[in-house]
Amino acid sequence: MKPKGKRKRRDFVRGAAAVLVGGVAVSSLRSCSPKLVWQIDPEKCTQCGRCATHCVLAPSAVKCFHSYSICGYCDLCGGYLRPDAKKRNTGAENQLCPTAAITRTFIENPYYQYKIDEDLCIGCGICVEGCDVFGNGSMYLQVKHDLCVNCNECAIAHACPSDAFKRVPASEPYLLKSDREKRIS
Amino acid sequence: MNDIRKNWTWFILIMALILGVGIYLGQSRRTELGKSFDYSLDEYRQVDPSLIHYTEVEPLVPTLGKISALAVAPDGKIYVGGEDAVQVFPDGGTFPVDGIPTCMAVDDDGTMFVGMQDHVEIRSKNWEKTVWPSPGGKAYLTSIVVDDEYVYVADAGNRRVWRYDKAGGKPLEIGRKDSANGVRGFNIPSPFFDVDLGPDGSLWAVNPGYHALENYRPDGMPISSWEKSSFMIEGFSGCCNPSHFALMPDGSFVTAEKGLPRVKIHNVDGSLRCVVAAPDQFDEGVVGLDVAVDDEGRIYVLDPNRNQVRIFEEKE
Ligand code: SF4
Ligand code: SF4
Ligand code: SF4
Repeated sequence: MKPKGKRKRRDFVRGAAAVLVGGVAVSSLRSCSPKLVWQIDPEKCTQCGRCATHCVLAPSAVKCFHSYSICGYCDLCGGYLRPDAKKRNTGAENQLCPTAAITRTFIENPYYQYKIDEDLCIGCGICVEGCDVFGNGSMYLQVKHDLCVNCNECAIAHACPSDAFKRVPASEPYLLKSDREKRIS
Repeated sequence: MNDIRKNWTWFILIMALILGVGIYLGQSRRTELGKSFDYSLDEYRQVDPSLIHYTEVEPLVPTLGKISALAVAPDGKIYVGGEDAVQVFPDGGTFPVDGIPTCMAVDDDGTMFVGMQDHVEIRSKNWEKTVWPSPGGKAYLTSIVVDDEYVYVADAGNRRVWRYDKAGGKPLEIGRKDSANGVRGFNIPSPFFDVDLGPDGSLWAVNPGYHALENYRPDGMPISSWEKSSFMIEGFSGCCNPSHFALMPDGSFVTAEKGLPRVKIHNVDGSLRCVVAAPDQFDEGVVGLDVAVDDEGRIYVLDPNRNQVRIFEEKE
């Protein structure tokens, strides 16, 4: 005959373990179904800024993507330069991106290439707005899947005022603006 | 029994605590972005009312959808191209075309030159059709003007103006980079590239990537130019403006912009004369405000968002 106290403790440990194992089993069963991930529909996004503030990760898993095939390689880039920029150069006072995540490289007169430094980008979407208003809309936001932890309930999707977040198959995790485009980072 | 209840209570409390901390951490990220993250063009949308010298009158309301091309004929009639047709005002009827014209011009004798994205179609007065071969490459035709001898066609895709004889044939190329003769080439980041003829018959073309208007001889040699980059009302902003322009009978320029939609008049030297329509007179984000002017200086603005040709007259 085992002492009663020990048995009670063992029963509790077994019960608690069963709850935890059950939880793990349910979640692993869920992961057997076709995997879906969160992504932003660039046509719906209104650059409200919540992608930068509402992600559970800091900095956000949302980054600016840039489509070379859509970009006009403009000298006066609405996504790179502030509306009140005094000069079209790389001076910090002229740059629109608050984190200096966009680099500008001269190609040939009068064309410039713009690249996004993913480590600095926080997904605020200001450049996207500038590019949309004055350029060709080659800059847009996407959830970067090597960073995103694919929360069950994406905190940004919950807060998005434009219903721009959707579940897409993990096999095709990006909603790119152009088939020809290449991701730059 | 009491022990078990106590253990379960602790277990539930600890789980609730973990959940609570998780939710708190999630919520605590919900701060607002700072002031440096504000993007506002409100300041540039405001226009001093004393600068607005024009007033809007009743618009033309075509029965066509997706209006996209506008021309004032030498006889003063207004031609509007849209979905599968061209409509002529006033009371000129509607004529079918195959697709949506991207630009249009009308000759003295009523012959129409219709840009159909990558080629030009000529429609005689009796609506007989002749098709000119496409200039090829990435042709995207955005503007046509016609004088007594030539038909000038702006091609945003190839960044050239093609000068055709009235009979068509192989066009002369205008705008190829030629530093020796001072031709820097057209910088056209998006498909907005307009041309018009000056009172002296010379060709004017917008060079939108430089915010410039450039004047050429019929043989493609440059004559003069002016440019003005600025978000302020005196200049042009963004990567490709003015998106459209037309010449007034006195040689001044009516310009229309995208991004900050506004219509203005610039003097022959490029200085601002006045504003025709301020940004708040257009829907936000409207693009493709083609402009045309008649002999009396009345200004026509094709507004694709409202599917109307809006008309502006100088205030008394
Ligand atoms: S929350 Fe929605 S609208 Fe706002 S920036 Fe993100 S995707 Fe765009
Ligand atoms: S402006 Fe915002 S979204 Fe654009 S690159 Fe900078 S941090 Fe990223
Ligand atoms: S799923 Fe999670 S990690 Fe991914 S973007 Fe949404 S909040 Fe961020």
